[in-house]
Parts: sequence; C-alpha cells; structure tokens
Amino acid sequence: MIYKRLNYSILVLVFTFSLSSLFAQDPAAIDAGKTLFKNNCASCHNKNMKDKMTGPALADVQARWGDDKALYDWIRNSQAMIAKGHPRAVEIWNEYKPVVMTSFPSLSDDDINNILAYINCTAAGNCPGVDGGKKIVDLQQPEAKSDNTLLYATLLVILVLLAVILARIISNLNHIAAVREFGADAPPRKTLADTLTSKGMVSFLIFAVILIGGYFTVRNAINLGRQQGYQPTQPIKFSHATHAGVHKIDCNYCHDGARRSKHSVIPAANTCLNCHKAIKVGSQYGTAELTKIYASIGFDPKGDTLIKNYDKKTDKEIEAIYKSWISDSYTKEKGTFDAEGEALVNSQWDGIVAALTDKESGDTKIQGPIEWVRIHNLPDHVYFNHAQHVSVGKVACQSCHGKVEQMEEVKQYSPLSMGWCINCHRETPVKFADNKYYDNYYELYHEQMKNLERSNVTVEDIGGTECQKCHY
Amino acid sequence: MKNQNKNTEVWVGVEHLEQDPIFLESINREFNDTPALLQADGLKLGASRRDFLKYLGFSVGAATIASCDIPVKKALPYVVKPDEIVPGVATYYASSYVKGGDYCAVLVKTREGRPIKIEGNAMSSLTQGGTSARVQAAVLSLYDTNRYQSPMKNDGGKWSKMSWEDLDKEIGGKLAAGSVKVITNTILSPTAKKALGEFLAKYPGSSVVTYDAVSSSAQLQANENCFGKKAIPNYMFDKASMIVSFGADFLGTWISPVEYARQYAVTRRIEEASKASMSRHIQVESSMTLTGSNADHRVLVRPSEMGAAVATLYNAIASKTGEATVSAPKVNEKAAAALAKVADQLIANKGKSLVVCGTNNIGEQTLVNGINNMLDSWGNTMTFANASLQRQGVDSEIQGLIREMNAGSVGSVIVWGANPAFDLPNSDKFAEAFAKVKTKVSFNGTPDETTALCDYIAPTHHWLESWGDAEPKEGIYSLIQPTIAPIFKTRQAEESLLRWAGSQNINPSAEQPYYEYLNANWQSTMFTSQNSFATFEAFWDNALHDGIFEKPVAAFPEFGWNGDVNAAAAKVTKPGSGEIEISFFETVNVGAGQYADNPWLQEMPDPITRCVWGNYLQIPIEFDGNKSFDGVGKFAGLNNKEGYKEADQIEITVAGKKQLVTCVRQFGQKKDTVGLALGYGRKVSGAAGRNIGVNVYPWMSIDADGNTQYFATVDTVSGYIATTEYASVQYHHTMGVTGKAKGYEGEVNVDEIALMRVGKGFQGSLVERSVINRTNLNELPTFLKELEEKRAEFEHLNQQTLYPYDQFVAEKYSQGHHWGMHIDLNSCTGCGACQVACLAENNVPVVGKFEVYRHHEMTWLRIDRYFFGDYENPNVVYQPMMCQHCDNAPCENVCPVSATNHSSEGLNQMAYNRCIGTRYCANNCPYKVRRFNWMDYTTADLFPVNEHGPEPFVPYDGEVPFYADNLTRMVLNPDVTVRVRGVMEKCSFCVQRIQEGKLTAKKEGRALRDGDVKSACMTACPTGAIVFGDTNNEESEIAKRYKNELNYIVLEEINVRPSVQYTTRVTNRDEALLS
Repeated sequence: MIYKRLNYSILVLVFTFSLSSLFAQDPAAIDAGKTLFKNNCASCHNKNMKDKMTGPALADVQARWGDDKALYDWIRNSQAMIAKGHPRAVEIWNEYKPVVMTSFPSLSDDDINNILAYINCTAAGNCPGVDGGKKIVDLQQPEAKSDNTLLYATLLVILVLLAVILARIISNLNHIAAVREFGADAPPRKTLADTLTSKGMVSFLIFAVILIGGYFTVRNAINLGRQQGYQPTQPIKFSHATHAGVHKIDCNYCHDGARRSKHSVIPAANTCLNCHKAIKVGSQYGTAELTKIYASIGFDPKGDTLIKNYDKKTDKEIEAIYKSWISDSYTKEKGTFDAEGEALVNSQWDGIVAALTDKESGDTKIQGPIEWVRIHNLPDHVYFNHAQHVSVGKVACQSCHGKVEQMEEVKQYSPLSMGWCINCHRETPVKFADNKYYDNYYELYHEQMKNLERSNVTVEDIGGTECQKCHY
Repeated sequence: MKNQNKNTEVWVGVEHLEQDPIFLESINREFNDTPALLQADGLKLGASRRDFLKYLGFSVGAATIASCDIPVKKALPYVVKPDEIVPGVATYYASSYVKGGDYCAVLVKTREGRPIKIEGNAMSSLTQGGTSARVQAAVLSLYDTNRYQSPMKNDGGKWSKMSWEDLDKEIGGKLAAGSVKVITNTILSPTAKKALGEFLAKYPGSSVVTYDAVSSSAQLQANENCFGKKAIPNYMFDKASMIVSFGADFLGTWISPVEYARQYAVTRRIEEASKASMSRHIQVESSMTLTGSNADHRVLVRPSEMGAAVATLYNAIASKTGEATVSAPKVNEKAAAALAKVADQLIANKGKSLVVCGTNNIGEQTLVNGINNMLDSWGNTMTFANASLQRQGVDSEIQGLIREMNAGSVGSVIVWGANPAFDLPNSDKFAEAFAKVKTKVSFNGTPDETTALCDYIAPTHHWLESWGDAEPKEGIYSLIQPTIAPIFKTRQAEESLLRWAGSQNINPSAEQPYYEYLNANWQSTMFTSQNSFATFEAFWDNALHDGIFEKPVAAFPEFGWNGDVNAAAAKVTKPGSGEIEISFFETVNVGAGQYADNPWLQEMPDPITRCVWGNYLQIPIEFDGNKSFDGVGKFAGLNNKEGYKEADQIEITVAGKKQLVTCVRQFGQKKDTVGLALGYGRKVSGAAGRNIGVNVYPWMSIDADGNTQYFATVDTVSGYIATTEYASVQYHHTMGVTGKAKGYEGEVNVDEIALMRVGKGFQGSLVERSVINRTNLNELPTFLKELEEKRAEFEHLNQQTLYPYDQFVAEKYSQGHHWGMHIDLNSCTGCGACQVACLAENNVPVVGKFEVYRHHEMTWLRIDRYFFGDYENPNVVYQPMMCQHCDNAPCENVCPVSATNHSSEGLNQMAYNRCIGTRYCANNCPYKVRRFNWMDYTTADLFPVNEHGPEPFVPYDGEVPFYADNLTRMVLNPDVTVRVRGVMEKCSFCVQRIQEGKLTAKKEGRALRDGDVKSACMTACPTGAIVFGDTNNEESEIAKRYKNELNYIVLEEINVRPSVQYTTRVTNRDEALLS
C-alpha cells in the first residue's frame, strides 16, 4: 500500500540522517558530555568555552595541557597537582588563587572524554548532538504515530470515483430505457454537470460547507485566547536551566508564595541578591543580566553594599555607578578597556534601562521592580490557588509547568484550559490518608476504602469539578 | 375595632393592604417591574432582525480579531518584599474607626498592602466585634476620588495647589497675628488633645470650640448640674428588663449604637422557648426610628410634646413612690394614659429599668435623670464608671464663637473635621461671621461647605492612613494604625498642629513624626497606668496587636444627686400649637451629613423609609376602618401610587423658608406630624452627596440654653406635583405575598390557581405563604403548638414527591460540609450593617438612583420590612433575605445552560461566565433574591451619569464613571469576580471565605473548626443575629441554633429545602398597657 511505502521511505531517510551524524561525531558522547558539563563545570566555567568566569575558558584546554593524563588528574584533584608542582597547574593557580577548583574524583576517563568532546565541539561551534539530536527526534515522530489519514483520503477518492461511475452507469441505463420507451421523444440524457448543479446536490454542498465550517470555527474559537507554548522574551535572560537544573535550587526557594498563597510569586529582587551578592558575573551573560538586578534594588557590586537613598538618585548617577562596574569587570577579564569594551558597556546599559522601564505604562524610573512579562494568564473569573495544589495536593510543579529545570526561557507548557484542569481533577487521587483534614469528613469514603470497595478518592469525588471551586 | 386586620396579617405597604389589583399583578412579575429598558426614553432599542444580524456579525468579527492578539501583561514583583506580606494572602491589622464621636474597634483586612474590608474587633469590650453600616462603608471613602490631594490655597475664589513647606511658611506667620480658634466635633483621641494643648499654648487667647451636629449638649449640661460629671453615662441595656426611650434612637444613631444594639439583643434573644424571657421596650416618639420600629410599644407624641411626656412619666412615678411631683405641661391623653401604665411597670422593675432620652433640652434631660434616680437605675443599669466620652460638644460654644467672629476678636480659625457652614441651624450666620476672620484653615480631607470658605486647605490623612488613638469611654483606649501609605500628599492634622506650634516634642525630619509623638505619649501615660507589662515595647506591641487597651473596670463611683427637678420642669418644651409639626433625625446612612458622599451608604435603603439617594418627607397614614388608607389632613391624597413607583412633591415652609420635598407614606408616623432626615442637601461635597435631597438644618432652631432643637412647626403646606423621583425598595422583590387569606376570590398567581384546582392537600395552601412568623411572649406556648402543627403539615405536603428529600440528603450531603445560615429575627434590628458588608466583600456595584427607581438594585442581601398589628401604629419585623441555597432549588432546574447548579456542600452555585442571561432562574426564584446586571454597572454605563434624579441617561460627559476609576477600584476584593452586563448574580454564601477557611485547615492538616468560616454579613452584625456554619458539624453554633423550637423556614410549604432558617419574631407586648 501507498502509506506503508511512505513510512518505509521515512525510515530510510531517518536512518541515513542518523548515520551521517554518526560519521561526523558521536552525538551520544557529546550529549553525555553536555549533561556532565552542566552538572559539574558550568557553575565556574563559561558555557561558551571562550570567556573566563570563575574558572578559565575551556576552549583548547587539551592543547594547553598537552598531556591528557595530567589534565585528567587535575580535574580529579587539582590541589594535589599544584602540590606536585606540575608547571601548568602552578600557572593556573597563580592566575586564579585563592579560587580552588573543585575536585571531581568520581569522574571516569570516559566521563572526562565526553566532557572534552563537548567542550571541543562547542568551541568549534559544530556540535551535532545538540541541534542534530533534536532533528533526529523530530524526524522520528511520524514513525511513532501510525497515521491513517492518507488511507482514509485514498478510500474517499476511490469511493467518490466509484459513486460517479455508478451514477454514470445508472444515468446511461435510464437513458437507454427512456430511448427504448419514448424513442426520439426521450428526455435528453442527464450530464454530470446536470447532476452537480441539481437542487439536491447544491443544498447538500451548502449544508456540508456550513457543517464543516461550523465545526472548525467552533474548534478554533474554543482555542482563542489560549496561549499554550507562549514564550515571550523576558527583560532578563534568566535561565531556569541553570538555576533549577544545574544548581538544583528548589522551586519554592524563589517562588515562595506557592506553598502558602494563591500566587506562586515572582521573587523579589532581594531574593536574587541572597546568592548574587557573591556571584556577580553570570556564567552565560557576564555582567549583562545580573547588573539589571543590582540596578533594580540599588546594590553596589563594587562595594558590596546597598546604595543609600537609592530611590532619590538621578538616572545619571545610577548610570555612572553601573557603567563603571561593567567596565571594571570587562577590564578585569580582558586586561584592557578598549573600544569593544566601550560598546559593550553601552549596550549592556541600554539593556538595563529597557528591563527596568516601561514606555507603555509610563514607568521611566530605573529604580524599582524588574518588568517581567507574565506568561501564565488565567482569565479574571478563574480562581486558582497554588497553595491548594502544592501544599495540600502535593502536586509537583512540573506537572503543570513542564520541565522548567530544562528550559532556558520559560514557556507555557500546559494549555491551561478548563478541560485540562477538569481532567486532572477527575484523575488525581486526593492525599486522603496524609491530611488529618480528611479524617473528619467523608465517612462514606473512609468506610468504602476500609472495605476495599474503593481504591482512592479523586478530586472530583470531593467536589473538585463543581463550578464554585474555581469560579466565584 | 377600627384598626383590625382585614386582609392580611403582615403587610409591606398600603397597596398590599388595599389589595390593589395593579400592585398585586405587578408583584407576580419577575422583578415586579415593567421591562426596564423600554422606559428609558433616551435609549433607542428598536433593533430589527437585520440589525440583529449586523450586530451579530460585527461582534463575532470583533471578538475574533480581539482574541487573536495576545496582550502582553506585565508582572511586577516587589523589590524588597516586606516580611508580613505574602501576595495573595490577606493581612489583618487592628485599628479603630473614629469619625467625630462615632467609634468602633475594627480589624482592617488588607491585600497586597491595600485595605479592602473592615471587620469588627471582638477583643473590644465596647463593640465586641460588632460594626455598623457606616463602619463597613468607611473603606470606600479611603479611595474617594474627591479627596484633596495636596495642600491648597484660595486666591480670591481660585484654588491652587501648594507644597507643605510653602504652606507651613505662610501659615506660621498668619497664625501669630491674634487668637486662634479650632472648631472640631467631638475628639476622642487623648494624644490629639495633648497636641491641641501644645498648639493652644503657643498662641495666647486661643481655644478649642467643640460641637456635634447631632448633639448631646443638653444631656452633658444636665449631668453636670445633677451629678457634677459632664459626661454621658455608661448605659447597660443588657441589665434592663424595662426600657423606655424618649426619642433616643439608641439602636440606630444615638451615641454608641453598635454597643447598645449588642446589649439590647441580649435581652431580646430567645434561645430556648421554654425559658423565654424578654425585656419590654417602649419608645416615645412621633416619627418612626430604627429603635422605635424594634420596640414593643410606641407611644406617639408630637415632637413638642416630648417634654410634657417626660414630665408626665416623672410625675406618675413620683406620685406612686411618694416623691414630690413637678408642675409641667400636659401630654395628649392617649399618651398620658399609656405613660401612667408604663410608670407602674417601671416601678415594678425598679433597679432593672432604664430610661433614656434623646432630646436636646436641659430640663427634659434633668427630669430623665430624676426618673432614673427614683427607679434606682444608677449603679444598676447605668453608671459613670467608664463614662462615655462619645459626645463632648456643647452647642452654645459655637454660638459664642459666631459672636466673637462678628466682633472681630478672632485672628484665625482652624476647622478640623467639623462642617459648621452646613450643619448648624444658623449656618448662614456662621458663614457671614466666618468671612470676617482673616486666616481660615481647614484640615478636612474632602470637600465640604466650610472648607470651601477657607483660605487654606491642609488636608489630613484618611484614618486608614493615620496613626492615632481614641478613648471612647473613660479607661477604654484604642489605637489607630495606618494600613496603607498615604495615597496623596496629605499630612495628619495633629502633625500640622504640632509643627505650627513649634513643638519640641516632635521631630519634623522623622519619617513619621506623629507616630513618635503618639508612642511617647502612650509611654508616659497608658504604660505607667498598668502593671501587666514590664517594658514599654512589650506593652506597645501588645496594644497595637490587640488594637485596644482597657484598664480594669473601676468600682461604680458614687455620685450625689443634686438635680433641681422643679427648675427643670419649668424648662421643658411647651407643646406647640401649630397644626403640623416636623421632626428632624439622623439616619443610619448619612448621619448628620458627614457620610453623605459615600455611595455605599447612599444606596443602602434607609431602614425606615426604605428609600435611597435622598431624604423623603414621612407623612402619616390614616385608616378609615373599612378599606381605604390615605394621608391625613393636608396630606390626603398624596402618594397614592407608591406601589407603582410614583411619589408626590410638596412645598413646605418652616421658619419662613420654603423647600420642595418628596413624600413617602410612613406607617407609624403620628397624625399631624411629619419627619425628615438630616444630612442631605449638601451643596459642596463629594460627587455622591452633592444636591441629593433637602437640607433641613436651616429649619431648625436654638433654644434659650443655646442648644439646637431638632423639630419645628410647619407653617404652610402647598401644592403638590406628581414625580417619578421615588427610589424606594419597599415594593421591590416582594415574595408573592399575594393573596387574601380567606377564600380565593381575589387575585392570585396563575400557577397557584392551577394548583388549587388540583385540590387541597397538595400545595393548595400557597396563598397563605409562610414568610413571616411572629408572636407575642404571652402567646408563646400556643404559638409553638401551632408552629409545630404547621411545619408538620408542610413536611407532610413535601413528602408527596417522587424524590424523597431524606434519601437525597443521605446520598449527597451526608458527608463533607453542608453550609447553612441561621437568622434570629429577634436580634436583628434592621440596621443594615450586613448589607454594606456584603457590598464590600462581594464587589456588588452601586447603580444609582434611577436604576434603583426601576428595580435594578444589585444588593445580594436585602432587609425586608413587614408591618403587623395596628395600622396606625404598627410593629415592625425586619427580615434579612438573601439566596436561601435551596437543596431543591427551583432556579437550577430552569437554567438552560446549567449556569446555576448545586454543589456537594449544599451551595447553590452561580457560574457567571456560563450564564447567558435568560433570567429564567430569577423568574423561578420564590425568594426573589437573584439580581440581573441590566447594565455594565462596574464600568462604563452608569454613575455618575445617573446619580441625580430619574432623568434617563444624561449623555456621558467624559468624567470617569464611579467604579471605572482606578483609585475606586482599589477597594475591590481580588478574590471575587467583577460581573459584567447580562449575567445573573446572587449571594454565594461568601464562597471565597468558605474556600479560604477550608484551605487553611487543610494546610494545617486539621479539621475545620467552627468559626473558621464566617460570612461577611455574620461578621458585620452588631447583635450576632446571623450565624453561618457547617450544619453537618454537630458541635457547631449553627447546629445549636438550628435546634431552636422557634425556628421556621420561609416558604417551607413549597418544598425547596432552603439552607437558611429564621427564628420567629417574638414581641413582648402587653395589650393592657396601651388599651
């Protein structure tokens, strides 16, 4: 059959693609290396491999060490290497002391090889495992789904053809019968055009168009205003992948409202400062993004203090404070301050102003909150309470928000439609045994559970699909 | 007997009594009104089918285009998040509501740093968690767009803004030139008084002039004469079993109504019918007041006869107890006979009786003191321990000031809170004299008549932005703390005073100078007077947390009686000879005028006239003994069409001044007297109060002691004009109180005729609908038997169904919660606090006068008023009515889209976004509690365009409508949806509070405690008449209240199974007393 042949061809195509990537590099190794790098190295070494951070830039690290064995030892225990007096080790120590590289004794040779493969390809800018890997996944999609649309379409065409042929035959037979009966007086033979423009046919077509059109209109209308996949650009390139993924910071640490309030709460700038008082240069964007936080709250990263009367400072004064910080950081990194640095300082400052002001709302003040773009928008008539789900229902954040710990830029993972909510309420069992609240009500359910007539109590069973649980 | 019942036992109005066919027909309609939009001449709604299709196409297209674009919404976090604020969780602060002498201990609910609701503070011994309508509405005045936003200066009639620095500089110099007078209403704050003291000391010859618009001046003076104590006694209504009030509206407006109402309810509530005991309450008055409507008997006297009535009672008691009588004018015979019998009962209850008097006449107040003295009330039902300080004004002081100002001996005047250019009987003279003062400064935060005459405005904070304290009663202190940073560039009046005094005790560069001053004052005074706390910090934190600090109650002090009753008797008012007399009184809504600019209060129906947005002349009704009810004498023929929204306007002349007033026929109004409320007719005020109603102050007079008199003689009554300016809710949403009790020949609902034809035994008794149950204390045993039989019959009727209720309950409501409400009609005084609390909690919109006129008010909770007894002097029962959350709800069955349906917790749910506005549910609701959004009341359509009179739709003039304004919208409760045009709404049993209470319990992993969930109306009630809770919880208060034998269910016979129960209204009448 046609569809099977198509599927075969897709499989062949996929196979060819996979092979071609395999020949180039080992995506599996690079992928593993990437994970290892993120988990172990990314907090000190820049991801682009070209810029310094807490630790040196890792591009060409093998060439600098010359000896892979020494490099492996250095990674597993750097202090021992310095003590031994390995020339490269001492050189690095002199440059970066008192910062000590964390020891990773548990990394195997293969692990380190994988990391190096990832570093090399990132530095060269030809990592197939990262982008290519995605393509492979995308291409495999059609295979996974057995889609019968084509089959139905073909059948439809065949049936229509059959119907037309049969209609023609009937029409011919009728005509023959008529000629036989009436001779020359027989009514003219009905052509295909006659059939198609007959009243019955036209009304049927109109009916069909309205029905199908209506169906699609309603279907799409239901989706109006829904924003699944919405991924706006945020004023700060905040990476959940780094914070929640690599550093495994608990969601509730920053979104501290989720446990106790209806709002999960976007963290206040002072929450950011808890860590970023110490970590002043970001692993990916250097000073560009973190300075936005400092400018919002009035933290002077050079003096490690909050600026007094920050609210009364003029834009010029603020500009001077933070531009000097950015240029200092640049100079520290590059050794000199050149025209490129000048441009960098200006562009970063423009970014800061854009992140902290809003032309539309008329907020021209740099001081004050960061203007995040809200991603999850529920309609006004919907009441949603995070605490109910997080503290009482013990629902994992990821079940609604997706794997945020893997998202560089957050997007809306779920449709946030009523059907989606209701469906979850229908399926999810309540933490019936864990919460003393439920001990006091629902005698019937307790009885049934005791008698093994019921395995669980879903949210729906305790009224979780009633209108006024969410609409009031 | 002439005044016997013919047609119906309880009635709502004359049309109902007269069985007016048009009225009867109209009340069977959905909103008992003609289709509303057709009445609006200005609106053209003649849409053809083509138009309809055009609109349909356009709106579908517009909606599609509008939905395509995702609007970018910003989310702004805190920069530094305050510890105590969790966005999305309410924080409560204890504070005190103070406006002049009005006081209430409150908790302020704030969300994200903005106050959105006020609740009572149960820790206060004074108010015990009760509130009033005024307290509930106070949060709206914080977000009043009419507030002054910075200091201002008057340059020859043109106001310009200025900075505080400039103001301080200019004023400093001007004040120094001569004496300074500070005009205030009662000041409760000891710290403010200290600040005032410092200010006065700086400017020699200065003084404070205190007066109250509705004054207790005579009482203060009488108490000073009799006992040497210039204060209002501490009344204990809860200890009295016989209460006589001479015109004192102590449940509504008199001195401390929240406190008194709670005490009063203690003596009126019946928890167990077998042990029933009640106080007896007799009210002597001419116009019906809120207190009078709750009384067992009303003794009707003309306003000028009040003194004679007091003297008559004095003499009756004196002669029976062997004291000397006084010579005094005679009261009318009927009243005299009644008062003689009242005297007997008072003497029989010696030591347990209480007589109060609301008049402003020193002689009358002295005689009342004498009566209480003879009855041993002092030390038993009233005392000077913890004497009340809630009225401190002496009327003659302000009159003295007028003379001084005219003489030119006053250098400058500061007005603080008071509005003498409006609320003095001779406000025109005041204005004249005021103009002669060189420097005039106002501290008032919103526009008023007096501020308009000033040179400078130094606006003070709203109390929700202020620090402060109050001493409503001696030894009972209360703190005011800010719950929001000042919204505008205002400054607290006390701070201004201290700065202008150049005080060493404040630090002007501090962030909150007055806070430090207050703190220091408490350290030196309150802290040193207690010994529970060792450090001031601990004491202060505790006082701030509790909101109150109460010294232990002192022993009842002995006060020697030094009253001269003979001199007093000579001073009492002589009965007037005028044909018609008029009395002026405060309403619970707008008070003396200081609350007039609050839309919530303007739209709350006055409990007595049931009118909104204006004051109406209350005219008496006479019954001809047969069928006709009509106005008496000169008022004959007036307002015969009230039932269909028409009133008459007449011109009356008092003290030579003529004004046009709209009438309302008032049951219980004494013949040949009329009544009109104070506080309306403001000329300069916030938009809501301006030019609403009639200003009656110019009609009032001042007696020989300089005290304001709240009555007058009507000189002429002339011509009348029919008008449609009649926004009364008395005839709205009547619950099919249709038919005649006997026979079925009259008008009845069509469906009822059909049912009756089916035969008796089913619901043929529908015409005798059980809406109000009432009885008298002495008939209680018989009544209980009747009630039991009646309810058994209803139950029997209700069992005749294919779907037995018990089975339903067992399946659906036996587990989990089942929410219910109980309303004690004996405790309910009809004050309306619940009604305003409901507006505030549930974002119920204000619709304006015209909309109320055409039956479009949106209140979820209404208070129905029914009369019973004698037509010319009836008793009243108030019935708070809201969605009854029927378990077998008629509204649910008829909704084509299931927008209203039932929850497993017994709630009748309303999903606004599913509602398509067919209004079938409202039509099918027997209680008429559903409200339809005919217009987009919260944003574009109405108000202020509709606030003046019933002219339909004045073109939109560009002013931002009320509630569409961002400042006003800050009052909205973020947990409750704001409804749009075209959807139905109704009481939700405060489902947001239910959900919040349950969530708190779940988060803490415990069972829900009784009292975790309280509806807004329950927390607002000053008397505890409303109880809400989980009826499945055997231990709960509601379960206990449900067991009361006197309970009944409204319209129980129609098998809708409501979740609200009422207690039968019991009066304690003694028919012998007034026969």
